[in-house]
Amino acid sequence: MGAAVLAALALRGVPWFAGLGPPPTPFTHGVTFLEPAYALLRDAAPRIPAGASVVVLAEPRHPGFESYFFRFGLALLPGRHVLPAAVFDAFTPPETWASAEYRVVVHGRPTPSDDELVLTTPAGTVWRRRPR
Amino acid sequence: MTAVWLAPLLLMPLVGAPLLLRTCFRRFPAGARLVLAGAAGAALTSFVMTLFALARWRWSLAAVAAGAMPLAWALSRLPAFAPAPPLGPASPSTPASRLAALVSSGAVAAAAFATSLAAATSPDLFNFWGTKAEQFAAARGIDVAYLQEPFHGFLHPYYPPLVTNLGALASMAAGRFSWEGAMATFPLLVAALAVALPGVLGGRRDRSGAASALAVSAIAIVGIRAFVAGNGDTPLVFFEALAMALLLRRDAGDPALQALAGLLFAGAATTKVEGLPFVLASAALFLALRARPFRSALAVTARLLGPTALALAAWFAFGVSRGLFHEYSEYGPFATLHLEHFPRVVAALAAALAGTAHGLPFLVPVICLFAAGRPPRASWLAIGTAAALVAFLLFAYLHMADDPRLWVTWSAARVLMPVPVLLALALSAGRAGGEPEPVVPSPH
Repeated sequence: MGAAVLAALALRGVPWFAGLGPPPTPFTHGVTFLEPAYALLRDAAPRIPAGASVVVLAEPRHPGFESYFFRFGLALLPGRHVLPAAVFDAFTPPETWASAEYRVVVHGRPTPSDDELVLTTPAGTVWRRRPR
Repeated sequence: MTAVWLAPLLLMPLVGAPLLLRTCFRRFPAGARLVLAGAAGAALTSFVMTLFALARWRWSLAAVAAGAMPLAWALSRLPAFAPAPPLGPASPSTPASRLAALVSSGAVAAAAFATSLAAATSPDLFNFWGTKAEQFAAARGIDVAYLQEPFHGFLHPYYPPLVTNLGALASMAAGRFSWEGAMATFPLLVAALAVALPGVLGGRRDRSGAASALAVSAIAIVGIRAFVAGNGDTPLVFFEALAMALLLRRDAGDPALQALAGLLFAGAATTKVEGLPFVLASAALFLALRARPFRSALAVTARLLGPTALALAAWFAFGVSRGLFHEYSEYGPFATLHLEHFPRVVAALAAALAGTAHGLPFLVPVICLFAAGRPPRASWLAIGTAAALVAFLLFAYLHMADDPRLWVTWSAARVLMPVPVLLALALSAGRAGGEPEPVVPSPH
């Protein structure tokens, strides 16, 4: 009886309303605040070459989100040199990441910039630093 | 891609097969033996990979297999696993046991659908578990330089190695890490427990089936609500539930069962830090409840704790020799408690558990235990271990100098997932002076 109650509750926890098709990201019906970062980094990965240095920022800047984004950058951009804009919910000094060749900006919009806009998605933008 | 990544993990029963093919394990149904072989194989494979890392040998699929399979064969020749006469027929299935199997199937389906519909994904898979496995696969070993890089402290270099070792092995086979494959381990391990637990618990099929269904349902619901797909919590509860089920059996005095439980203990202790207090509490309670004479206690201790001691010795030897770590560390010096946080921790703990379907996965097993009346002596092994895990978690939370409520909020439900499972398994223990049960003779 107890097991049946728990199994029913477990089945009730499934987001059936979303249909059985593949969700856009692994976080679509779970920890949703991570969804844009995941989607943007997944889409950015083919545009960022191996060995390039990358920083993942939030727009607006937020040390908590950027701590997560640094970790997600390491996970989803293997082979690149991911630099932290924040760790443990605290910003790092800008010189830690200012030299990054690529900037992945979660929730970022295309804006006039000296840098090259590499990718725009609903989840944000990716920029490549122009030689100065 | 996902299937290729999962293939080496699904082949773990081949590694453990030399052990589970021994006649002393014919008391278990085929499905239970397959799952036990997989669990033993996983623990041995991870141990071999840690030894390779310690010896600075590069990992390869062939080399790891060539190390793990002979090790399993050599272990199977130990006297504890000596051939035994066949046992009597297992207790027949009943309508109640078939209904319990149906309930377990529902829980497995919930875990599978929640995972595939992105409702159970663990952030920690991307925070460190998967990142490390991916990097270790590329490095063909535990990448010390990567773990020591500035700002990489959040990768928890001291975390026990089993999940990342096996994740790296799967990635080496598939050519890259599969996030979907890692997430799929949640429903797969829940399904494995649903298959194995009734047979491993033994005894009356209706009782073992009901206890298994309760345990599996609790894992499914807590796992979904606490987002565990892809992290170390499901492998941990997998090892813990199987080991506890072995030790709750009436024939747990058999050295073969104790040695197998010892291997699964090693799996638990090398999966997550919380695995070690589980192992120590379970072994101590088993000794107190089941192994009275002193000489017997020594042998039982060796069988239960020997594999864990060896596995953790290899891991700490690796950490110390590379200057990576020399202890488990968390949020403060060991045993420096901030008791002023106790009321906050308890309140946050209650709120966190209430967040998993109003706490029902934790309350229902407790209610079932009370409804079952005075617990039989054997069940105190599981109940006592569950209490020890709660005490350990409180002890850990009280180490934080700052307000620990946020930490409690995001960790308590999943870290306490073994507690309702242990309470559910306690229900399978035979009642003293109650209804008769089929007596399983010890084969030794």
